Amino acid sequence: MLDQALEALKTYDWGSDLAPVKAIDEAILSSADDGAARSELEKALAAVLDSDASRDAKDVVCRRLMQIGTAACVPALAKCLTDENLSHMARYALERIQAPEAAKSLRDALDSVSGNLKVGVIGSLGARKDADSAAQLAPLLGDSDTKVARAAAIALGDIQTVTAAKALGTAKPSDESVKIAAVDGSLACAEAMLAEGNKGEAMKLYKGLLANSPAKHVKLAVTRGMLACAGK
Amino acid sequence: MGNNSKSLRNSSPHSSRREFIKKTSLGAGAAISAPYVITSNALGADDVPPASDRIVMGGVGIGNMGRGDQGAFLGRKDVQYVAVCDVRTNAREEAKRKVDDKYQNTDCTEYNDFRELMGRTDIDAIHVATPDHWHALMVIEACRNGKDVYCQKPETRTLAEGPAMVQAARRYSRVVSGGSQRVLQDYRKTVEPCWNGELGTIKSINVNVGPLSQDCNLPAETQPDTIDWDLWLGPAPWAPYNKARCDGNFGTSGGSWRSYIDYSGGGMTDWGAHHFGGATFAIDVRELQPEEVVYHEDENYLTFRYPGGKELTHNKPNTGNMVVVGTPGEKIDAKPLPSYKGTGGIYGDFIECVKTREKPFRDIEFGINTVAVSHLGIIAYQLKRSLKWDAAAQQFPDDAEANRFLDRARREPWTL
Repeated sequence: MLDQALEALKTYDWGSDLAPVKAIDEAILSSADDGAARSELEKALAAVLDSDASRDAKDVVCRRLMQIGTAACVPALAKCLTDENLSHMARYALERIQAPEAAKSLRDALDSVSGNLKVGVIGSLGARKDADSAAQLAPLLGDSDTKVARAAAIALGDIQTVTAAKALGTAKPSDESVKIAAVDGSLACAEAMLAEGNKGEAMKLYKGLLANSPAKHVKLAVTRGMLACAGK
Repeated sequence: MGNNSKSLRNSSPHSSRREFIKKTSLGAGAAISAPYVITSNALGADDVPPASDRIVMGGVGIGNMGRGDQGAFLGRKDVQYVAVCDVRTNAREEAKRKVDDKYQNTDCTEYNDFRELMGRTDIDAIHVATPDHWHALMVIEACRNGKDVYCQKPETRTLAEGPAMVQAARRYSRVVSGGSQRVLQDYRKTVEPCWNGELGTIKSINVNVGPLSQDCNLPAETQPDTIDWDLWLGPAPWAPYNKARCDGNFGTSGGSWRSYIDYSGGGMTDWGAHHFGGATFAIDVRELQPEEVVYHEDENYLTFRYPGGKELTHNKPNTGNMVVVGTPGEKIDAKPLPSYKGTGGIYGDFIECVKTREKPFRDIEFGINTVAVSHLGIIAYQLKRSLKWDAAAQQFPDDAEANRFLDRARREPWTL
């Protein structure tokens, strides 16, 4: 049954019957307690990514690797990150695979992609709260592509390390959308510092935000944060 | 901005509130040399607040539910409706026409791309009724831009989106209301006996709702030029246009976006947002999330266990919808029943809270807790096993497989 389903993926495309997909899902469920069977399945699915199967078939595969993928399938997924048609679905799996190899593949891809694909990779690193990527993301706050700069600001706000906070606190974006994201990221970092009891560093971030004549709702957030720092 | 998105803006996205009031006062067609006349629209009347006291609103996603939401807000005298946004030309134009007819001018601005509307500093609040896969992104972006939000239910598409939305609302002190009008209005007969003590100590309630959403592999169809398909898909995986994939009808068993996993949790989240909302209100666990989901394999149903011992069952065989199990013979003290503030149902509740800065009846946190029930249930059914849930950590403890379903990577260039 599974063999037939995997065979069917070779010609699977938009409009095809969902039967092979359901068979693969059944195989995933029935192998929940069978590590060897899961590994075989993962290997077979990853092989589809290296084949000339359709975008739709590879989409199906990435969704399933999101659920069962391990470090073993990361190389096959990583190759897709630079492909405009497959990058998102590769991240669909890589973002959720907790193996450190998955995060590394995203960091490694940062220099190989640009534009929207780069925005996507940055977003996935942020979603993973990947502290190891903070130093790579920090300079992207000044990227000439404002979509990249904005994504970096949001990701650094998710990562919330000292490096991330410092980069956000010293960023001077001129584009409004980047500015809003950098403010949001700074507030996120300050809140995290406050929660950890690091009131001094949080206060520095708040003061920096206040110095830039923020909008009313930001001023409100900063004031509340400063009061919390002061123990009020 | 997406490659296919078209700017339809006919005024600056950063125009000020004063500029807006000036524009509506003078009318778009007023000649430069015309004498400055402050109209009754600007000054208000006995039953209409002056423009400066009205809540300036716009709407994103104006078809189907959005149409109803727009009508409710547009009908209020304390709201000045100024902008509509939809990726479907027909829905957008119809929505603009409705606003212009109401105010007898042509001032309502149309947008294809919501980011342009979000950037307007004259807009106080927005309502969102897009497909569910857009909700979190839009609510968070609105909060970052200082706007209050009324967001249709179900408020989230994934578990991880919930805390991010609540955090954005709290960070910027925004009023964010979920959008289930049924929680308070449809389930009174269930809710009141629970709150007034008639049923004694409440033990459990059952909800019957479904189905779960399904995979979608519809074939490509010719894409009409009346929809910005790239922007409709937004953060969801790319797929070719097919009318049945994006139709906004309320079906959850095929032929509408509510049927498919990339955009919806199906009936489990759609009607689930109402039923689970009513049920968690009835047994007074709106402020909580379950700590355990028990999957009953033999009969394929679920029991959600809450801290404190109350239970919510889903599709329990031979049990009616919203059936409560209390403690027969016991009578306990009544608790005051929460209700809407202001007038005009859930819409009036939101507007009143925008004015007073109170929390609305379906504060975003309650909405999130409700939809979390749906999402937790979907994951349990999908994995066909029971789950522990740590609500504080928003994790399935020691359950790496289940934790993979907390969120999904968003299609570039969209991030939360």
